[in-house]
Amino acid sequence: MIHELRILPPLAIARFGSAATPMDNYDAVVDPANPLGYRTLRPAETLEVDSDSGAITRAFVPDALSFSENGALRPVAPFLEVWALVGDEQLSGGGRLEALTTTLLQEEGASADDLRWQVQVANLKVVRRTGDANDAVRADSGEFSDHARRALVGECENFLPGKTIGFGHVQYIRPTANHPEIRLRFTPAAGRVYGSNREPFPDEQTPDPNISDVVYDAQRGGWDGYSDDRREPRITAPWQIYAGRPIGDRHVSAGYLDDGCDGVLRVTLEVGGRTLRALGRVGAGPPTYVPDAAPIRTVADELEQALLGPEVEPADATFERVEEIVRRAFETVRLMNTTFWNVNGMGGGRPIMAPSLVDAIAVENLHQSLLVALRSGSAPWFGDVLRDHDDAADSTDRGRRKMPAMMRGADGRLMTLTRRQIALIRTLAQGPLFTEEEPEP
Amino acid sequence: MRSRITRHLWPVLGEPVPVRRQPDGAPAAERIAPETPPLELSGRDYAISLLRLAAEIEHGLMVQYLFAAYSLDPPTAPTARRPMVRRWQEAILGVAKEEMAHLVTVQNLLTALGGPLQFNREDFPHDTVLYASGFRLRPLSLSSLATYVVAESPEVWEGEQAERIKQQAAIEVGGTVNRVGRLYEELIAVVGNPALVPDSTFDAASSAFQASWDEWGRGYRRGERGRQLADDPDAPAVPELVIVTVDSRATAIAALEQVGEQGEGFGMPQDEDESHFERFLTIHEELEALSDDERQALVRDVATNPTTDLSGPDVGADPADTETTSPIANPAARLWAHLFNVRYRKLLVSLAHAFELAEDRTDPNSPGPRGSLIHRAFTEMYNLRSLAGLLVALPLDHAEPDGPRAGPPFQMPHTLMLPHDEDDRWRLHRDLLDASATLADRIGAVDGAGAARDYLAALAQADRIERDQVDALTAATARATAGAPTP
Repeated sequence: MIHELRILPPLAIARFGSAATPMDNYDAVVDPANPLGYRTLRPAETLEVDSDSGAITRAFVPDALSFSENGALRPVAPFLEVWALVGDEQLSGGGRLEALTTTLLQEEGASADDLRWQVQVANLKVVRRTGDANDAVRADSGEFSDHARRALVGECENFLPGKTIGFGHVQYIRPTANHPEIRLRFTPAAGRVYGSNREPFPDEQTPDPNISDVVYDAQRGGWDGYSDDRREPRITAPWQIYAGRPIGDRHVSAGYLDDGCDGVLRVTLEVGGRTLRALGRVGAGPPTYVPDAAPIRTVADELEQALLGPEVEPADATFERVEEIVRRAFETVRLMNTTFWNVNGMGGGRPIMAPSLVDAIAVENLHQSLLVALRSGSAPWFGDVLRDHDDAADSTDRGRRKMPAMMRGADGRLMTLTRRQIALIRTLAQGPLFTEEEPEP
Repeated sequence: MRSRITRHLWPVLGEPVPVRRQPDGAPAAERIAPETPPLELSGRDYAISLLRLAAEIEHGLMVQYLFAAYSLDPPTAPTARRPMVRRWQEAILGVAKEEMAHLVTVQNLLTALGGPLQFNREDFPHDTVLYASGFRLRPLSLSSLATYVVAESPEVWEGEQAERIKQQAAIEVGGTVNRVGRLYEELIAVVGNPALVPDSTFDAASSAFQASWDEWGRGYRRGERGRQLADDPDAPAVPELVIVTVDSRATAIAALEQVGEQGEGFGMPQDEDESHFERFLTIHEELEALSDDERQALVRDVATNPTTDLSGPDVGADPADTETTSPIANPAARLWAHLFNVRYRKLLVSLAHAFELAEDRTDPNSPGPRGSLIHRAFTEMYNLRSLAGLLVALPLDHAEPDGPRAGPPFQMPHTLMLPHDEDDRWRLHRDLLDASATLADRIGAVDGAGAARDYLAALAQADRIERDQVDALTAATARATAGAPTP
């Protein structure tokens, strides 16, 4: 018996692309022969979908990876699977999750046609600045149970008549004998820029060619020409993240919008007189231009902390996990112009570190040496150089030199690792100085 | 050979001595007293000779403390005692780091006085007159700890405990253990005396070549360094690293006083930090409260004075004998030990080389290779720690797989003098990387398992990256010398 439904993964992030074929699947792995290099992208099993029928026509592992097709980027279009909590026991007992398939549905006296989907996404970037609810761009697929593509058409009160922004589409994958699982695919938009006018910037002769359409009605809404109220405490993201021009001491919005979005998808199943529901989340953002590296702090770290808390059990504090954090620090620092940011970033106008120490290559090498040392089983000794979450506003030299350095957190303060990431490192540091392997038999 | 140094140390170590000995061995009544500065030396020259000796001593202490810390916390230690042992380990490693800072500060003093740098020190065996606690690489024991306590002790330290520990130390080294503080007292007297060291001696411009707190202290102030046991309420207090840049008599005296105070205090230290003396004394007290068997269970059975030299007059048969060296018979362990020595040399060469390059304070956007060398020195500290961790787990003798462990040898290289040309200095780095690569290949052939293999693979890659950088640096120098355009 099915007790509950789940959508897995509960959060999927799509990436823009205008190519017709979505990006193939891959894993980013550390090559044992190249432990200090970039990660290796290893092709993984990929599902090919026939756009008309919605059926999976083949599962294959690509020979090679290509991020573009005919000069256009291939979008990352995630599948979201429905899983069922089944078993004779009640939920608090020994129920188990298994993929919802046509077979399982049949056992319940239902079919794939009995599932109803609804996807609602929005782009609230402008609302976040202007505070005007009429600046929200929303798309709603309505309920559907068929396998046709459903365009996600973004509509907005402050748009010009008949204008919309396409957020991509969703498609309920048609189950087949070879692929009987219940899935939905979200294909994001192309990654286009939309405008409020065709006026050239003051120092330009022609309009910005990146604007694919003028959709925003600057007479109705205030986004074109908007500037931040610096006394507004809710604005923590800097004005540099939206296009505009300086007028006096203000940064004035040029009225740009984009086709990024996030939202929820719901699935409903009526079975045995009961209504089962599940909810998942999707988001769409820019392509990953450095797919073989990861940032030091990610949404996944936030979610893990939210789920499991800021402390770790000693058994969780493994060398592999700490190496992963250090590797991401290394991958982050190798993308930074450290000499520039030492003087110009989060510094209040004065260098953060001794200038002799911030040569980009030397800093990169130093981080590599941490990776080397961890591989020997030597306990991490650098837990005390990490910036704690409650030191994010410490702008003394001492505070600014903590790690991660020269970076800005989402709150506009100095970047910190999550408390849980820090706990992982410090917990491992409190173990034996040298970890000895069990002798081989 | 050592006499050329010891003969100038009479003012520090000596009492009035008889001018001749009688045929029956009895000293004659006629005596002469030491003079300051010693005959043959100017005041400045005398200060330089004392500073070079201080550098040797700080270096020797640091190495011995590292060895002692690495000998702690075997996998077999009882679980209940592990927090205490880890606390000891952190405390001793903390002191070793502070000795490293002292070593760097003494180089600053030498730079300011225009003296040659001193990163050298004696291997075992050595002249015990020079080395305060008698240089021995040995696992931590009550008696070895006693020598550290006495070496770091203040001028006035009396009472039953003091006498008992001094006695333990004297038995351990077979003679009197000298206080390090005595040397610094003499240095302060000499450097502080304008008649001996005139104001014009202090070269303020040399500070660009000196180690600074911002570069070497990694910017982490009081209580924020090496505090791995932050959650342990008994964790030792972590004091400031003493890295003082010297440009005048006042800063020179301040440097000497701070170094001296952190060791043992000229008198007891006035601030809240524990001196090395106090920290060692606390460990001694805790260790003394345990039975012999309990003590033994907390310390790895690491051979004393491990060495890659299989023959020679100092080789002993008993790895526990502190008066002899313990040749590392195990071929795999010996290769690791050679690799340890190469990386140790690389650390010292990087340190010395960094002092040859001035900090460029004119353009913060284009740091030169000085910062890279400083990072390299820290990198080699990490490597030494990793390699020591592997060595304390490997048997000294493959014929006795359950016998004593090998341990890090800390053997000094044939020279630490840097070549005159900058290009040749980088060639020396390349030579050391080549030597390291050869050893890594040999180790891979005999000992290629698990964490050791992963470490070696990562180290080899890091070295290849560094070698490419060194090649690029030397190629750039060659082009500049030839006047060719830089591509």
